Amino acid sequence: MMPTDSVFVAALPILAKQIENARQQSEDAILALSTRFRGLVTRLDGAMAASEKGSGDGGRDLGNAMADGRTQLLTVIDALMAIRDSRAALITEIRSLNAFTAELADMGKEVEMIAFKTNMLALNAAIEAAHASGDVGRGFAVVANEVRQLSVASRTTGKCIVAKIEVITTALNSIVGANEQAVLKEAAAVKASETRIGNVLASFGGMTEKLLASAQEFRGEGEEIKNEVMESMVQLQFQDRVGQILSHVVERIADLGARGAASGGEAADERDGAADQYLADMAESYTTEEQRRIHLGGPAAEVAPQAAEFF
Amino acid sequence: MAKRILIVDDSASVRQVAGMALTRAGYEVVEAVDGQDGLAKLSGKLHLIISDVNMPRLDGIGFLKAIKANPSYKFTPVIMLTTEAGEDMKNQGRSAGAKAWIIKPFQPQILLDAVAKLVLA
Repeated sequence: MMPTDSVFVAALPILAKQIENARQQSEDAILALSTRFRGLVTRLDGAMAASEKGSGDGGRDLGNAMADGRTQLLTVIDALMAIRDSRAALITEIRSLNAFTAELADMGKEVEMIAFKTNMLALNAAIEAAHASGDVGRGFAVVANEVRQLSVASRTTGKCIVAKIEVITTALNSIVGANEQAVLKEAAAVKASETRIGNVLASFGGMTEKLLASAQEFRGEGEEIKNEVMESMVQLQFQDRVGQILSHVVERIADLGARGAASGGEAADERDGAADQYLADMAESYTTEEQRRIHLGGPAAEVAPQAAEFF
Repeated sequence: MAKRILIVDDSASVRQVAGMALTRAGYEVVEAVDGQDGLAKLSGKLHLIISDVNMPRLDGIGFLKAIKANPSYKFTPVIMLTTEAGEDMKNQGRSAGAKAWIIKPFQPQILLDAVAKLVLA
């Protein structure tokens, strides 16, 4: 039995309880910290997964959406250009009609000329009828007068035809002119649309790249923070060693207290080798290398993670 | 289907570190707070067991011996995860049937490598 006294016996159990209380508080705090760290890692995993999903598998989805948008907008430009081309074809058709109207105008003038000549012929016929005598001369004069009236009517009709054709030609020229202006405006609009679409796509492309870069940076930072947190959790394992060492100290103090109490706080076991035996027993009960080193008077060397040993 | 691993350790923080590493690696984890609790948690298919040595009620060596005496789990590989670095204790573990010995504090990757090696074996 080790030397002891009543103070020793009274104080040891209290000290043991104080140490145990400190150990328990430390364990509770470390466990709470570890639980929070684990929650942080889980939330970081969730945030990074959401970011990965949002930017679409490393940006491929976003890139595909951009390419799809570009294709669809270019389809709109193609449609506008098709409309412009069909209007140009219409102008060509109207111009070909203009050629026909010119022919019709010539034909109208021809009719007018024929009417004029017929009128002259009727006039000559009337003069010849005046030279003729009797019923024959009168009959001839009636025919000559009818032919002259027909020629006048034909000439009037020919003039009307020419006038109408001029109206149609003017209208067609007006349509052609208006369409040519429209084609020019549409070409300018298509060009402007192409430029705007190009600008919008370039702007979105730039934003997409920045977004992807930002998301990638976020994931990189998140990964680093997560690794830091996980490394911190690894460091918290010291609590297990500290807890074991403190528990051992508490057990030994309790044991010493019990021994003292059993001896009434006065008796001392001074048998030869009793102290050595006690210390040897204590050494046997250690669970960590640093306890053994300290017991032998050495330093408590740093405990570093080691490789697994397979049997 | 995820492989099931039983972690037996009286330190909650160690169970958390090991459990998180294994869960993130795709394993299903069952936790027990000491050897006696570990025996109570033996049910269904277990692909591997990780056990501390120094634990209240039933320590790791006693738990290991009980596993090896159980016909359903005698071939389940066991890794001892402990602060114990002494050769005597390692020899006890080896004799009782442990397949590997990892000293705390441990790097999660070292544990994962050992688990992967023994689960595939």
